[in-house]
Amino acid sequence: MKRIALALAFAALVVCVGCGKKEQQTAQTTETPGKKKWTIGMSQCNLGEPWRVQMNKDIEEAAKQHADEIEVIFKDAQNKTEVQQAQVREFIQMGVDLLIISPKEARPLTKPVAEAYQKGIPVIVLDRKVEGDQYTCFIGADNVKIGREAGKYLVQLLGGKGKVVELKGLMTSTPGQERHQGFMEGIAGSQIEIIFDADCQWLEPIAQREMQSALARFPQIDAVYAHNDPSAHGAYLAARQEGKGREKTIKFIGIDALPHEGVRYVREGILTATFEYPTGGKEAIETALKILKGEQVPKNITLGTRIYTKENVEQGGEPL
Amino acid sequence: MENRRHRFLERLNNYRGVIAFVVVFVLGILFSPRALDTGLPIFLSWQTQLAILYEYSEYGLLATGMTLVILTGGIDLSVGSILGLSAVLFSLLTIGYGWDIPPAIGVVLLTGLACGVVNGTLIARFKMQPFVATLAMMTAARGAAKLVAGGIKVQPGGQPWYALQEGTPPFFLWMTSALPGIGMQPSTLIFLVCILVMAALVRYTAYGRWLYAIGGNEEAARLSGIHVGAVKVLTYALCSMFAAMAGVLNACRQDLGDTEAGMTYELDAIAAVVIGGTSLMGGRGGMMFTLIGVLIMAYINKILSLNAVELAPRMVIQGIIITIAVLIQQKRGRS
Repeated sequence: MKRIALALAFAALVVCVGCGKKEQQTAQTTETPGKKKWTIGMSQCNLGEPWRVQMNKDIEEAAKQHADEIEVIFKDAQNKTEVQQAQVREFIQMGVDLLIISPKEARPLTKPVAEAYQKGIPVIVLDRKVEGDQYTCFIGADNVKIGREAGKYLVQLLGGKGKVVELKGLMTSTPGQERHQGFMEGIAGSQIEIIFDADCQWLEPIAQREMQSALARFPQIDAVYAHNDPSAHGAYLAARQEGKGREKTIKFIGIDALPHEGVRYVREGILTATFEYPTGGKEAIETALKILKGEQVPKNITLGTRIYTKENVEQGGEPL
Repeated sequence: MENRRHRFLERLNNYRGVIAFVVVFVLGILFSPRALDTGLPIFLSWQTQLAILYEYSEYGLLATGMTLVILTGGIDLSVGSILGLSAVLFSLLTIGYGWDIPPAIGVVLLTGLACGVVNGTLIARFKMQPFVATLAMMTAARGAAKLVAGGIKVQPGGQPWYALQEGTPPFFLWMTSALPGIGMQPSTLIFLVCILVMAALVRYTAYGRWLYAIGGNEEAARLSGIHVGAVKVLTYALCSMFAAMAGVLNACRQDLGDTEAGMTYELDAIAAVVIGGTSLMGGRGGMMFTLIGVLIMAYINKILSLNAVELAPRMVIQGIIITIAVLIQQKRGRS
């Protein structure tokens, strides 16, 4: 008896859901007659880092301005490659009109991305690459260039010579290597000397600790070049906590320029400058619209950087 | 006779802990770069010693609580996450809602206490493995930290509705600046006071004896009339409360509430306790061992940092020194 009731209830539920769906569909078609709303699937590799939270936010805001044309579905792979692979396949099954992916790793995601591409779903790859050419468009920033600009700026700032501490990001990751390489190119030929460097793994508490060691060893430090803003902030705090007032004489320079992080630090005078590592969120939506409307887009879009200093921070930085 | 022999060995054990400590300390002097202005080994300066204590005060607080738990034969994996949750909550209350410091600290400590009571109840009442119960809490607390913060770091200007948009409360700076006279930061003092108070508590009170009794033989402890369940709940509650306090310290040190704060700190805390010589099996060790363990960890880290050793070799060296430090201790278990 109980079982029959259960089965009946289940059947009723299925019917209800079915009806609901149909209603929704008719409602949608009447709302925008003759015009289809495109669905974009966005697979983010993780939302643990503020920079990636910002990327999603940028995409959301850009999409809002075209709310009548597109709808974006966000998925977070929680920093797990296999979860992201599954998400891409879910988007394919859902039949999204376009896929945006910020992949965790190149090689393991190349295949699922290619699968989507071959099924006729255009794919925009954001920030990190996949292998081969089975995607529609890659949008990303140039870390070497950003590092180089930071180096050139520091040469100018210190008048060509000085003692600098470099607080590196995780050096087994490409952004860390490229931000270092670019910086070395930027200061080449000047008398700027790196007196202390440490791998801070992008983390502020580690940067703070390493900076304390640098402060203990060197009575004279002119500037700190940190591979990201939290590390630069940590270095500033270390100098402040030392209690000798050196946080006022040392110039702190960071990278990333998130609105509530680096840019705010510059506004408050904590950092002398920060260089934007653009998320490409806005550009991704713009490019997506072009693709969906059948326009041609370049295979590679390299984003530029902007510098934020006390002078230009209120105007939203200055492109380099 | 047996008793006297036992006491002698116990004393020898203390001696071993000190040996490991002295070895690391001497390594520190030998491999310390010299200050450019005075020419003295930087490691030996009072300033550096204070910096080491300051940098490790959060780990120290976690290790303090962890020692209590490990003495009962348990383990607490959730302290790092509770640290993160507390740092975020404290920043949110003060920066976001503009609360005064004392009520904010009160709420944070109570939250920590609540987490610990849940841990303790799951373990004592529902007989869950400490590893599993605290693993669940580790996940839940980290999620809660992200939830209350809305996925971003809690700092001035982080949200348009925050009460404090221009900088953190003066308390943040006070906690991390040296007090005039003793040259020590309040956050270091809190750690030292906590560990000394707990050392006295473990050594001289009934509660301390219960810890050892439960860690030594839980069934025997129960039969001798100890309320094992209640003691366990209290112990996990204390452990989480120290983690919450470490969270307040962390927020003050970082000048913001980071949802990722304290990630993997629980491992360092456990390592410090074990390096000090407290047995993971429970019932053997003590709070002063933990102080030594924390200092050994801190010294190793400082020596490598002062010399700007690259990350990869640094990790290897760290692993080797930790192993040696524990090996020096090891014989205690067999004696």
